[in-house]
Amino acid sequence: MKKNITFILIILLAFVSACGVDDTSDIQPTDSYDRSALLVNWADNIIIPGYANFSQKLTALEVASEDFTQSPSAISLDGIRNSWLDANIAFQKISMFEIGRAQTLNYRNRLNVYPTNSQEIEGYISANSWNLELPSTIDAQGFSALDYLLYGLGTDQELLEKFTTGPNASSYKMYLLDLVTTMQNLTSEVFSDWNNGYRASYITNISSSASGSVDQTVNAFLFYYEKALRAGKVGIPAGVFSGSPLPQNVESYYNQTVSKLLLTQALNATVDFFNGKGFSSEYQSNGFSLNSYLEALGSEKNDASLETLINNQFQVAFSKIELLNDNFIQQITNDNTKMLEAYDELQRNVILMKVDMLQALSIDVNYVDADGD
Amino acid sequence: MKKILLLSCFISIFLSSCDTNDDSGLCCGPDPIIAPQNYAFLRNNESTVKFTGQTTRIFMAEEIISALKNNDTQTQSSLLAMFDHQEGAADFSDPELNASGKSVRSKTAASSDYFSANATEAAEIKSMFDSYIGIQTSEVFPNWNTVATPGVAGQIADGSDTRYIGANGLEYNQAFAKGLIGAFVTDQILNNYLSPSVLDAGDNVSNNDNDITDGDNNYTTMEHKWDEAYGYLFGGVAQENQADPLPSIGQNDSFLNKYVGKTNSDSDFEGIAQDIFDAFKLGRAAIVGKDYDVRNTQAAILQEKISQVIAIRAVYYLQTGKLSIESGNFGAAFHDLSEGYGFLTSLRFTRDTQTGTSIFTRSEVGSFISELMSDGPNGLWDVTPATLDTISEQIASKFDFTVAQAASSN
Repeated sequence: MKKNITFILIILLAFVSACGVDDTSDIQPTDSYDRSALLVNWADNIIIPGYANFSQKLTALEVASEDFTQSPSAISLDGIRNSWLDANIAFQKISMFEIGRAQTLNYRNRLNVYPTNSQEIEGYISANSWNLELPSTIDAQGFSALDYLLYGLGTDQELLEKFTTGPNASSYKMYLLDLVTTMQNLTSEVFSDWNNGYRASYITNISSSASGSVDQTVNAFLFYYEKALRAGKVGIPAGVFSGSPLPQNVESYYNQTVSKLLLTQALNATVDFFNGKGFSSEYQSNGFSLNSYLEALGSEKNDASLETLINNQFQVAFSKIELLNDNFIQQITNDNTKMLEAYDELQRNVILMKVDMLQALSIDVNYVDADGD
Repeated sequence: MKKILLLSCFISIFLSSCDTNDDSGLCCGPDPIIAPQNYAFLRNNESTVKFTGQTTRIFMAEEIISALKNNDTQTQSSLLAMFDHQEGAADFSDPELNASGKSVRSKTAASSDYFSANATEAAEIKSMFDSYIGIQTSEVFPNWNTVATPGVAGQIADGSDTRYIGANGLEYNQAFAKGLIGAFVTDQILNNYLSPSVLDAGDNVSNNDNDITDGDNNYTTMEHKWDEAYGYLFGGVAQENQADPLPSIGQNDSFLNKYVGKTNSDSDFEGIAQDIFDAFKLGRAAIVGKDYDVRNTQAAILQEKISQVIAIRAVYYLQTGKLSIESGNFGAAFHDLSEGYGFLTSLRFTRDTQTGTSIFTRSEVGSFISELMSDGPNGLWDVTPATLDTISEQIASKFDFTVAQAASSN
């Protein structure tokens, strides 16, 4: 009899929740995992240090861009190129956290849409007029626009001429400076929001609803992994979605030798986030992570623990990526199969995380595939 | 307890087996109507199928919705001229379209059943589309290079895409395109060409009974009317595939074909494209076989399924828009809600096969639109998730799908 009552209660509960109103803001977590400690680890040991690090690199890039525009030379060009790469690597560590202010600013797209539109950039420069706040200029700004200006203007000699004696030299300089300033402004807006109030509300919002911090962060993480990393860095240039390869769509199209480096940095950051690893020795993890959450829930698939499957799959993906040429354009042109194989292994973790992990954590996907028009 | 469970199992089996009203005409009578494998029908070894007029109008509509985004080349008068094309006018890029005497506007809110004695509403709907063009050119075009804010038209980012919206957040080109799916395509199919008022007009029945063809053409008028219905769904298909169009369903135009395809790719509605194609074939075969009951049954299936597609897509876009609103992503939300806005207006052209009238009255559709746009002073900028849910539920309640089923589509 007791069983029957329980059964009926479950049915009733299912019914009630299916019909319930949408205001789920006070839904408490259904498991005993310490979400608060998890959010503290994410905010204090991963996200905020990541933004601090990126801000620092952007400041260095800003200094280098001033040096370069004040006295363009082989030396100052080298300096700004190095700062560009440092900042780009630092960006790969925080790109996945598109929540809060980053989300409202469309932050990742403002900083790293590729391929860049070189024609549009040249148009703005020759007209000496642009407005980087317009969404339609999104493909003419960020790291990939800088990639064009720092690597895509011909030989170093030709490039330096454009910034010194060329007819639009001052416009080139202004545009370059404006790109860096815009990246810096956007980043300081996001970073200071974390430091001024957002962290506090983030770590206390432990509800297990769509608006809870865990749900939001995990959704942002998965969206990033699926769209920006798996598709953007590998699948789209390899032609997974177009039928034929699109080598012109690789990340860092002009500085071709770093596409693989940026991918491995991004995947490292992804794995570290999954395992809750602190940003550096200065920011040690408190041990709370998606990995330990799944472990605490005892989530299994095919008699193996889910977190182990996911971590193993990351390693398989790494092993396929290791086989790739540093230069993805060459890799795609010479042997695209290896790109596709790397894609397939990345894709397997979309399934393990988006389906199995989300089910284990009772998180709903809050994004949908774009409609395509 | 076990018994109760067992019993409810039986009940559900019983219910579901009763649910299949498969009266596709294969059961009774001496000469059962059998549909061919493809939409191919011959008389004297030559095809009797022709719907070039529909193809022309679909292509015209494609050019119009694309021109709505050309702020640097189009004006209000050039766009209105395209919409209301006159024979010979150089409105389109395709000279064949320019030479045609057909237009999209003349077939907007123009079905025999809904509008032949309802000129007032027909004129209102036509001018609704005219006004989309007017606002696009007077409000959105001038602000093409302005960042949109509540109450100010301009650009808004939708991921890496840019959308161009009015002061109220609406993308008028989307409202226009998705509105035409109802007012133009669906209205013509459901309430004109599949209706007895058109199929059986004049001497159509006796001519069809006696194989009297239409002038020099190889088809009877009734056959042709049915093909014209088919053409509004499949007229954009490459000619060599028009008899076997399902492999590319969804990719042949930006109108009904596209959204039958999208609905079909949702596992909750998988097979609906085949059901629609099968009904078109069997109905056409029934006209050849002069079995008008079978024909009418297939027409009813088409009216029901195509109405469903419109409603499913309306709910889908309201729900995806809701998700984006909840996460503060206005650009993505406005794009989806603008498509939803168009599908809401398209609901007016759905058809209840019992009554032969729209599943949603003119005033119901009007209420949906005003609910959507009136949560605050700035239209979509202010719409709440609760409002989107309310409208979604009201739509779904008239069908046997749930909001959740429609929302999971893609």
